[in-house]
Amino acid sequence: MIEVIGLLGIAALVAFTVRKRLALVGTVTLAALAAAMAVVVVMPAEASGEVLELTWRMSELGRLAAVVLLGTLALLVLAVWVDEPAYNFFPTALVIAAVVLSVLVLTTPIAIYAALLLGLLVPVGSFTFQVHRNRSAEAAFRHFSFVALGGCLGMSALALSASLGRDQPPATFVLLVVILVVAFALKLAAIPFHTHAALLASEVPASALALYFGVLVPTTFIAFAEILVLSGLLPAIVEIGKVQDLLLSLGLTSALGGAFLATGSTELRRVAVYSVIANLGQSLVGIATLSGPGIIGGMAIALVTGLAATQQLLAAGTLERRAGADRPSATTAPLAALAFVVGGFAMIGAPPLVAFPGHFFVELIAYSYSGLLGTALVIATLGVLLAQLRAAMAIFRTAPDRWRIEQRPIAGIVGGLVFLALLVGGVQPDGFLRPIAAFAAEFLRALHPL
Amino acid sequence: MLLLAIVAIATLAANSARQLRYMAVAFFGVALAAHLIDDGSLSASQIVVSMCSALVASAILFVAARDRRYGEDPGWRLWLATIVAAATTAAAFAFLRPATGDDINANLLGPDPSGVTTEVAAFWLLSSGIAILLTARGAVRGSLGALLMLTGTQLLVRMVPGPELALTLLLSWLQVVVALAGAFLIVNQRAAREA
Repeated sequence: MIEVIGLLGIAALVAFTVRKRLALVGTVTLAALAAAMAVVVVMPAEASGEVLELTWRMSELGRLAAVVLLGTLALLVLAVWVDEPAYNFFPTALVIAAVVLSVLVLTTPIAIYAALLLGLLVPVGSFTFQVHRNRSAEAAFRHFSFVALGGCLGMSALALSASLGRDQPPATFVLLVVILVVAFALKLAAIPFHTHAALLASEVPASALALYFGVLVPTTFIAFAEILVLSGLLPAIVEIGKVQDLLLSLGLTSALGGAFLATGSTELRRVAVYSVIANLGQSLVGIATLSGPGIIGGMAIALVTGLAATQQLLAAGTLERRAGADRPSATTAPLAALAFVVGGFAMIGAPPLVAFPGHFFVELIAYSYSGLLGTALVIATLGVLLAQLRAAMAIFRTAPDRWRIEQRPIAGIVGGLVFLALLVGGVQPDGFLRPIAAFAAEFLRALHPL
Repeated sequence: MLLLAIVAIATLAANSARQLRYMAVAFFGVALAAHLIDDGSLSASQIVVSMCSALVASAILFVAARDRRYGEDPGWRLWLATIVAAATTAAAFAFLRPATGDDINANLLGPDPSGVTTEVAAFWLLSSGIAILLTARGAVRGSLGALLMLTGTQLLVRMVPGPELALTLLLSWLQVVVALAGAFLIVNQRAAREA
């Protein structure tokens, strides 16, 4: 596995060197991603190893998430190559692929955290473009500040908890867990720590936004769950209910706040980004219930939301570009418009897509936790549904005399592929949910170590 | 204790610098002193790796300045950051210090196996970094805040038992990437302002 991560790193260097030769850099990037995916797929279950005393292990969840996230990256690379050439995107995508694999296979919490921070800082280069005409430099700076602040705080909390003896006063561990949770909330753009995401949504290129919300945010969420399991802090969370309440309230605020902000948004990108924030809120609630179905649902929502975000943000970028100074409309890019609308189905967790079981599990377990919590999550889902419907109606407000498919309909093709994958997953949910269930079992064992 | 004093003074120098190049040099001083604090667990390889990354990070910021005058005037932010950092360091040390019965060896030049000097330096750097980052108007002071926080984090991670060299390497790479991202933002913000 370390060889694959090294291969992706070397490919990133090569891609950086030849980044202005589009055909070459696109081929190198896609080939490296395909090779990495192939190795992940054929690797034996629970393969493990060690490098510089750092152990790695390919868990079932790691394999599933690697395939989903590397696949998403490959689709993004294809879209950028064909439709929106951005030279720096290719090496960035390869570095992020290496980081994603590292986060998924490493077993030392601080190493996972450091790798994650590397991945979150790399897209700063892809966020900034035409800095004289927009506020993308400011958006990138705000992202940099949030990542640095959250990253250093979280890593320090982890380091302190690992170096302190277990005989410390409970208040010490409560403080450390609270710092860790807030640190991840900063990186996940959970409300009220979402101001950088709002600026990013309106100022940076759609492909870079898709890279962040489609790949890095789900990776951050998985890293959060893994770090909780591996750090040994979970028993402290169970013993002290306040931390669980903090996680629940953070998740609920994000779910409701994200849905509320999405319903008020008129820009397609903002609708997609706030829907992601609302869904991540639901995922946080799922994890915070500290129950099997909640954890499975939370992780499933995070992964599927990443795919749906990629689908919607690429489509939104295409619609905006084709519309020019006018409002985005299906008349200029019907396939991209369709991709945006079907992406909305995944965002709200509609059956028969594989997005459904995650939302169903989390809302069900939220109801069993408290009626108010369950109702709030259903309201949040309805809010996202309303926002997606408004966006769809706005795109299809005008209809041409004759529909004509746009030239280079890559956003539509990517949307179609994602929809197909989600549909196949929905028909055969076992293949998607079983690896997540294996992780949930590990999580529950870590909650009650004896 | 002497190194701790150097860390504190160099942090104040970096925080008060109006020019990015002075800031970069002062940051290298901070990192140099911080990584030389001996808590009895230091290895030569770790020191070399940490020093190299600090040197590279400082050099990246130095080059990003492009001329001697470019920087950001801290103004009142200097005092706010200093007061907040001092108060937070004391609070963090009182609240998060391990509850062990070890004696504190606070001599001027020798090593401090109790780790207290390392912890105080780490808390000081973290709180200074947070205060600078939160009050930063642009990427110049933002980068300094992020690098100071990361140096504090490196000190805390050094105290964790486990794969020490691997973690040192990872954090050193992270420091270089933070400096690169910071320099990229500095150059872009300058271009946007001068347009």
